[in-house]
Amino acid sequence: MSRTRLSNIRTNNEIASGRLRAIRSRITSFSTWPVCVPRTNIVVRGSSTSFGSRASRARFARAFFGLIVLSMLLVQRYKDWTQATSRASLRLARRRSFATAVDVGGFKVAAIENNQPTVAVTVLAKAGPRYQQKPGVAHALKNFAFKSTADRSALGTVRESELYGGVLSSTLTREHLALTAEFLRGDEEFFINVLASVIASTKYYRHEYEELVLPAVESEVNALHRDPATHAIELAHALAFRNGLGASLFAAPHTPVTATDVEQFAASAFAKGNFAILGSGISQSALSSLLQHAPTSQSTSSAPTTAPSSYSGGESRLETHGLPQTIFIGYGTTGAPTPELAALAAHLDPNPSVKWAKSASPILVGENTTAQAVYLPYSDAALVGLLVQGPTAAGVREAAKAAVAAIKGTSGVKAEQLKSAVAKAKFRLAANADGRAGIVEVLGSKVLAGSSETSLDAAIASLDKVSSAGFTKAAGELIKGKPTYVAIGDTQALPYADELGL
Amino acid sequence: MLYGPLGVSLAPYIRSSPALSKLFTPVAKWYAGGSLYRQYGLLYDDLLIEERPDVQKALTRLTPREAYDRQFRIKRASQADVLHAPLPREQWTKPEEDIRYLLPHVEAVEQEMKERAKWDSLEVKRK
Repeated sequence: MSRTRLSNIRTNNEIASGRLRAIRSRITSFSTWPVCVPRTNIVVRGSSTSFGSRASRARFARAFFGLIVLSMLLVQRYKDWTQATSRASLRLARRRSFATAVDVGGFKVAAIENNQPTVAVTVLAKAGPRYQQKPGVAHALKNFAFKSTADRSALGTVRESELYGGVLSSTLTREHLALTAEFLRGDEEFFINVLASVIASTKYYRHEYEELVLPAVESEVNALHRDPATHAIELAHALAFRNGLGASLFAAPHTPVTATDVEQFAASAFAKGNFAILGSGISQSALSSLLQHAPTSQSTSSAPTTAPSSYSGGESRLETHGLPQTIFIGYGTTGAPTPELAALAAHLDPNPSVKWAKSASPILVGENTTAQAVYLPYSDAALVGLLVQGPTAAGVREAAKAAVAAIKGTSGVKAEQLKSAVAKAKFRLAANADGRAGIVEVLGSKVLAGSSETSLDAAIASLDKVSSAGFTKAAGELIKGKPTYVAIGDTQALPYADELGL
Repeated sequence: MLYGPLGVSLAPYIRSSPALSKLFTPVAKWYAGGSLYRQYGLLYDDLLIEERPDVQKALTRLTPREAYDRQFRIKRASQADVLHAPLPREQWTKPEEDIRYLLPHVEAVEQEMKERAKWDSLEVKRK
C-alpha cells in the first residue's frame, strides 16, 4: 500500500519536474533570444579585430570555431522563430475561416474547427413557431427534445450524458429550433448518436408529454408572465407581424396541443432538407463521417411552409401588478434586414459602453429607469425599437417621451454619431459570432437558406458601406410606418401611443 | 409479489409452446368465464391490485376515456355486489372485450423503475 503511494508520489513529482523543465526551457529560450543577438554581434566584431591585428593562429582558430558554432545557433534560433510565427499565423487563419456547408445524405453539414477543448454539435431545424400549424406546438417540441427514443429512454439519455459530462440543450427562436450537445473531445460518437436518434426515433409518448413536457412548458409560460420585458417583445411581435413571425414562442397557459400534434410537427420539422447540422470544435470531415454511421430520419413528411412576412403595427396594453412598468416602442420592416437597421439600433442604444458609467441620454435621466435598444432581424423582416422599464409609471412616461424623440431624431444623425453607431454595430455582430450560440445564429440561418458563403466578412463589409444618406433614408422609411406600441403594468397610468406623439 | 394478477405466472411459458397452449387455452377460457368477474361487467385488468406504486403510476397514464370507463365498471360492479346478484346478461363482459388495457402501462412503469435503479447503483469503470 505504502509502496504504491510512494510510487504515485514519485510519478507525480516526475510529471511536475518534467513540466517545470518544459516551462523553464520555454522561459530560457524566450529570455536568451534578445540577449543572444548583441553577443554574436560582439563576437563578429571581435573576430574581425583579431583577424585584422594578425594575432596568434590558435586565437584565430578559437575565434573562428566560436563564430561557426554561434552562427549555427543563430540559424537554429531563426528557424524556431520563423516556425513559431508561421504557426501563429496559421492558427489565426484557421480561426478566421468559416465552414462551407456540404451535403451529407440529404442534409447540410457545416463545421468550424477552432481547436477548442470542447465540441458542440447543433441540429438546427426550421421548426420555430413561424412554421407551426397549431399554436404552441413548437414550444412543446422544444421541450420534447431528448425524451425516449428507440435507442435509449429519457432517463438513460440524461444519466449517460452526465457520465460523459456533456450538456444537452434545446433552444427555440421564432424561426429555428436548435438541439445542441456540448461535450469533451473524444465523446463525439456518443453525442452525435444521441442527437441523431432524437431526430430519427423519438417516441413522443403521451405519458412523457403529460409527465415531463407539459410541466416544463407550463413553468416557462409562468416565467414569461413574471418577465414583462420578454412579454412585451412577444406582444410586439404579435402586433407587428400577426401570423408567421407574430406567433408566440410560448404555448398558451392551457395549451390544446397533444403528443400526436407534436409528433406530426416533428415529422415535418425533421424532414429531409429542413434541418442542418452545425459543429464547432470538430472538423467537417470528422462530423460528416460520424453522421453517415448515425441513425437517419425516415420521415416522409414535407417540410413546413410559411407565408412571407408583412408588417402591421398597433397598440397593446396589459395590466399586471408588482412587476416593473414596461413600454416597448418599435417599428418593423419587411424584406431582408439591411445593415442600416443594425446601425440604427446601435445608434438608439442609450446605454454607455463602460460599465457603471452614467449615460448622457435623456432616456436614462429618471432614477432606476432602464432602457435597451431592441433589434431583431429575421430572414424576411426585422423589428427595431426601444424597451423602457422602470418602477414608476411617471418615470417610464418621461423616458418613453425621450425615447420617441430619440427614434424620431434618428433621421438627423451627425456624421460622427453614425460612425460610432456603425462601429458599435460591427463590434456587436463580431462579438456575437464569437460565442457558440452566435455561431449557430450567424452560420445556421445562412446554411439553411442554402447560401454557400458563410463568413462574417460580408456582413461587416456591408456595415462599412452604410452612408449618411442611406441611414437617413432607412430611418425615414422606418418611421413612416405604423408604430408598434406595448405597455405592460399599471395601464391606468401608463401613456397611450398617441399621448407620446406616435 | 408471488400471487395475484401481477405475480409469478407460467402463462408466458405456456404461450411459447404450441402444444401446451393448445391444451391450456380451453381450460383458461373456461376458468375466466367461471370466475364471475365478467358477469359483473368488469375487465380482467380492473382486478389488478392497485395499492402499489407502479399500478398507481400506470393508472395516471390511462386516457381520460379509459379512466372514466374503469370507474364506471367498478361502480356498477359494486352496486351489483350490494344487490347480491350479477348484472343482466346483456351487460356481461364479452370475452373479446376483455383486453389488457392496464397491463402494458404497468409493465412500462416497472421497466422504468428497474432502469432507474440500474442507473442509481451503476458502477462506473474508467476505460
